[in-house]
Amino acid sequence: MLTKKGKYGLKALVHLSGLPAGQLAFVNDIAVANNIPKKFLDAILGELRNAGFVQSRKGKDGGYRLARLPADIKIGHVVRVLDGPLAPIPCASRTQYQACEDCEEATCQVRHMMLEVRQAIAEVLDNRSLAEMRDAANDDILADIKYQI
Amino acid sequence: MTERSGRLAIVIVGGGASGVLLAAHLLHDPDADIRVTLIEKRPAFGQGIAYSTTLDEHVLNVSAFGMSAYADDPEHFWRWLNSQGLAPEKNPRKIYVPRHFYADYLADVLDGLRRTEAPNGRLHTVSEECVAVATTPSGVDVRLANGTSVIGHVAVLAVGHEEHAVVGKDIAIRPGSEADTAIDPDAPVLILGTGLSMVDTWVSLAARGHRGRTIALSRRGLISSIHRKGKPIRLDLADVPLGTDLSYFVRWFRDLVRETERGGGDWRDVVDGIRPFNQRIWRSWPASARRRFIEHTRAWWDVHRHRMPPELHERITHALADGALELVAGKLAGAKRDGNGFAATIRRRGATETQTLSVARIYDCTGISSDLAAGSNPIVRSLIDRGLARPDPLRIGLDVTESCAIVRGDGQPSERLYAIGPLTRGAFFEIDAIPDIRMQCAMLARNLTARAGLVAQAG
Repeated sequence: MLTKKGKYGLKALVHLSGLPAGQLAFVNDIAVANNIPKKFLDAILGELRNAGFVQSRKGKDGGYRLARLPADIKIGHVVRVLDGPLAPIPCASRTQYQACEDCEEATCQVRHMMLEVRQAIAEVLDNRSLAEMRDAANDDILADIKYQI
Repeated sequence: MTERSGRLAIVIVGGGASGVLLAAHLLHDPDADIRVTLIEKRPAFGQGIAYSTTLDEHVLNVSAFGMSAYADDPEHFWRWLNSQGLAPEKNPRKIYVPRHFYADYLADVLDGLRRTEAPNGRLHTVSEECVAVATTPSGVDVRLANGTSVIGHVAVLAVGHEEHAVVGKDIAIRPGSEADTAIDPDAPVLILGTGLSMVDTWVSLAARGHRGRTIALSRRGLISSIHRKGKPIRLDLADVPLGTDLSYFVRWFRDLVRETERGGGDWRDVVDGIRPFNQRIWRSWPASARRRFIEHTRAWWDVHRHRMPPELHERITHALADGALELVAGKLAGAKRDGNGFAATIRRRGATETQTLSVARIYDCTGISSDLAAGSNPIVRSLIDRGLARPDPLRIGLDVTESCAIVRGDGQPSERLYAIGPLTRGAFFEIDAIPDIRMQCAMLARNLTARAGLVAQAG
């Protein structure tokens, strides 16, 4: 399940990936441009920095930038850092397993299939880069424009 | 191109364990239209450095089920042991048999292939040293020391580990090499490295009746832990953080160990539980994380990951307790010839002064070569010099793609040159044990035989 945190984090990264290489962005600008609460974004960017996806500089000219090329950052890797193990429901995770109150894990057919689904999620998200996510958005807009014309 | 147009000719340079495993996987499919030439400079195939020891005490540190030549038939080696009357009456998951049994097993696998392939000519073995590999417009030209060449479409380098001492060149020697002659049993010996190769070396010395002082030196002086039967935790790739900085990953790993231990498990359960994902984790890391891992974390990882069978661990523990083996954390500051022996200057960890030891022999058991381009393998060096290959960013192996294609100097993957085994450790990291190598061989064999199908269609 992609939480708001995961979604905001990805939006912030897409924002940074659209800047010229090395240029820093103010947290406030990212927050306003993407409609993200600034305090929440501060925490999210802090976690992305700890994991090594972004770098920050303090002070008046401070801000955030990507630590690597957008093509080298995989979406699935970012989501694991922000939302934990990739899992469609909380019981379908092995390290952060949360039992459901209302069912038996061993016999739950839903969980069994969801364990398979998470492999598929990893297969998709671990093979998509931030650059692809950034460009996919543009492609959609271009496609829309073409369609309207 | 060779004797029959359409038949894909694959030349494997190096007939040690990796080379034999690749040949076995390539020939697994009886319909694959290929011709495999396996070239080995040693008199015996299937041994390389790893399995050329004849000492019973040099045991496999992977249990019998992990050692089958075929990943899809894990009991193959176990059945062979039984057929030869060599299997101890114990649980095969726990037994660690002498390594020379494994050399015999691989030789037998190869003999079997020779017999079945004799009528159709799909396998040729050549006992000769390979001196160079060149690409031609239509394929590869593998030159041998006797002046002849083997021509093929594709060459795979399976040259294994660095054979010469890397640290203290011209002074230190590799254990088990030709230079490893008998020495005075009372003479002091210095071993560089404290990993499993050091343990092997000490075992060899003990078997020769060595009584002299034996000092093993490494930066941290860490020694391998003991194997213990456990229950590896279950993980999916979706659980494992990928592509992060090293410190982030290490924190996750430590937390997982703590949590597992709280639940009554053991750190080994975590180390073994993430093993299926080690290559994926390594490949996902940025170069900075890989470099930091090699510099700071690898020594610690190795002693937890590469463990000693219980009987061996007990021997080493005794040897350390009664002084037969001394472990020193520190660095080799210098070494020079001194009379019949050597004067080795070491600096203990945390100390400012150095001390000089007078020893009769220095063994290099340090493992990973620090700079591949400066290594002793002439084939690898000449490929790099001619721009047909390049070292990986860490210079611990050759730069290869996920499908083992050697990356040229200009960054483009070759369609003719491939590498397997320890030479690919920059890309795969854990690729010196059979369970990993056989999977790599299965993958490459699948890709190459699929290509053979295409060649056949075109022909």
